[in-house]
Formats: sequence, C-alpha cells, structure tokens
Amino acid sequence: MTPSPDRKAEATDLELIDRWKGGDSRAATQLVGRHSPALARFAVSAGEREGVDELVQDTFVRAFTSLDSFRGESSLRTWLFTIERRLMLDRRRAEKRSRATVPVQETDSVSEYGALDGLIAEEAQERVRRSLDALSPTQREVFTLRVQQGLSYKEIAEVVGSTEGAARVHYHNAIQRVKEFLKNE
Amino acid sequence: MNKCIDSQIQEMLPDLAHGTLDESSRMRVEAHLASCESCREDMVVIQTVKNAAVFAPSIDVQRVVRQIPPYRAIVPGVQTPARSRVTQWLVAAGFIVAVIGGGSLLMSKRDKATATNQQVAGVAADGGRQFDSAAPGLRATEVAPSLAFAGSIDDLSDSSLVQLMTDMSQFDALPAREPEPVFAMDGGEGQ
Repeated sequence: MTPSPDRKAEATDLELIDRWKGGDSRAATQLVGRHSPALARFAVSAGEREGVDELVQDTFVRAFTSLDSFRGESSLRTWLFTIERRLMLDRRRAEKRSRATVPVQETDSVSEYGALDGLIAEEAQERVRRSLDALSPTQREVFTLRVQQGLSYKEIAEVVGSTEGAARVHYHNAIQRVKEFLKNE
Repeated sequence: MNKCIDSQIQEMLPDLAHGTLDESSRMRVEAHLASCESCREDMVVIQTVKNAAVFAPSIDVQRVVRQIPPYRAIVPGVQTPARSRVTQWLVAAGFIVAVIGGGSLLMSKRDKATATNQQVAGVAADGGRQFDSAAPGLRATEVAPSLAFAGSIDDLSDSSLVQLMTDMSQFDALPAREPEPVFAMDGGEGQ
C-alpha cells in the first residue's frame, strides 16, 4: 500500500506545526484549511446536525492548545478525528442529560442524522443517507472513516478507541447492510 | 451470486477507491475484481458512498484561526535535587532528638507541678503556720490528720464527726500574711 495523501502531507503537517510554534500564524491557517473539510464531513456523517462549524472550531482549539502531546505517531488528521469524536460524545452526553426524561438508545443518533433531509438533494445521496441510517453509530463511524475518509483500520481503531479487529468486523457488517439496503431500494 | 471469501481483498477495496494501493496490490485487486461479482458489487457501494460524501457546511478558516490561542511551550518544572542519604539521616536524628527532648521537658514540668501542689496542700493543712517553712513533700494529712479521711462521710463515727467539725472550725484556710502588731502589755514602763 502506498502512503495516502494524508500520509504524504504528514511531514508537512509536522513542519507547519513547528512553524506555528515558532510564531507563524499562517501555518495555523494552512493546517485548519487543510483539515477542516474532512472534520466537517466526519461530523455530519457521524450524525451531528447542527453546530458543525463550532465543533470543528473547538476541535482545532483543543488540538492547538495540546499540540505538545501530539507525538506524531499517527497522522495529524487521525489525531484531529479522535479529538472531534470525543467532543461529539461529550455533546451527546450533554444532550442526553438535558432531555433526561426521554430514554436514549443507540438509534437516537440515527434520528439526528435524519435532520439532514433538507440538505441532501440528489437521489443517490438520499439513498446513501438512508443506507447509513440503517447502521449502528459505531458501524457508521467505522464505515465512513474507511470509505469516505480512507483511513486505515489501525487509524480507525485509534479514532474510535477500539481494536483493528473490531474495526474490520464493523466494516464488514456495515458494507453488507449497506449493500443489502441499496439492493432492496 | 457467491459471497467472496477473500477478506484481504475485500478490505483493500476502499484503498483502491482512494488510489492508495501500491502497484502490485492494485493489480492484484483489479484482477480479483474481474472474476468476483460480489467484490464488484462491494466496489460499486464503496464508490457510491464515497462520491455521495454527505453535505457538510463550509468552515470559516479565519474565524477558527482567530480562536486559537498563541503557542505556549510547556516548561518542565524545576526539580529540586534529591536529598542525600546523609541529609535524610540528619533530619531523622533531629526529629528523634526533638521528640525525646520535648518529652523530657514535659515530664520535668509535670513533676514540678506535682511538688508545688503538694506544698500548697501542706501549707493549707497546717493553717498557715508553716507557710514559710513548708517542707517539700509534706502532706496535709500529716499536719491535720483528722481532716483526711477516706470514703464517705457516712463512714465516720459520731465522735470522729465531732472531732472533724471541731478541727474545721479551728482551721484557718486563709492565713493573714501580715502579722498582727505586737504590743507590749507592760508598755515598757518597767524598763
């Protein structure tokens, strides 16, 4: 397997980080511009219906204030996904507390994802959205990170706090369900 | 259609879609796809999902960058040098000396207090007659034995009770420090 575009950019990411630490604010602009679209897509894919821009912003603020803890063992984008996912979980916990009278189940985030109805216009996108709706939150995270973001299983395991084996199983189950859904549409 | 059992190829399909496979892997996967309908279907699903990347709002990069605080390097804390073994022994020895010395001081103070109490009791017992010459360790009961009794007052016999009351009526608990002036009865007229 050849290095992914993200991996090719990894060295540049590290260079930009060093430049930002040296006081070059343009380096931060480049880093944010490079990774923010992927973070926004991941957030939407994971079911965030509103405040995606705030979520991405919080992710970068959290990342830049703790850059000393980034050891470069994974790509910067993987690390950013990990931070963003934790923030999303925090948000969901806060939402659950705020509507404590309604029991929250795994399928709740699927209904959150349904808020994108008005945003997805084309039929193909609508079909894909519905097929992803049929997945569990973890399956959807793994599947979109693998198919839409092109992360390796090792990176996905890092982001979702699981193992490579578990990520593979989630991927296989997810693609079978999506395939079945699209076939029966 | 038979389900493909080559999980290794299946797992590489997203990498093929992203163009991240090396040449040999790419050729291997493509050769497999030519003969495997199941994997071709998987590939169609992957391409569909990848191309239908969900709508995401555009991010205002400058707004995000403005929220990022300037870099502040983490300065490692200044570590105090570890105490040497000799220093540790000295500290321990000092602590032991302080404990023993303090204990001895407290003991001696308590002994003094006991002796003083005994002296006061002696003075009280002799009605002030021995105020200036109370011998250390002198007990009140040695001076006025009738004032000391053990047990309840009910244990006393009538005669003992009478004796006690007599002694108490004669007992001067607060002797005057100032001696009463002595006047010569004869006025010194004979001298």
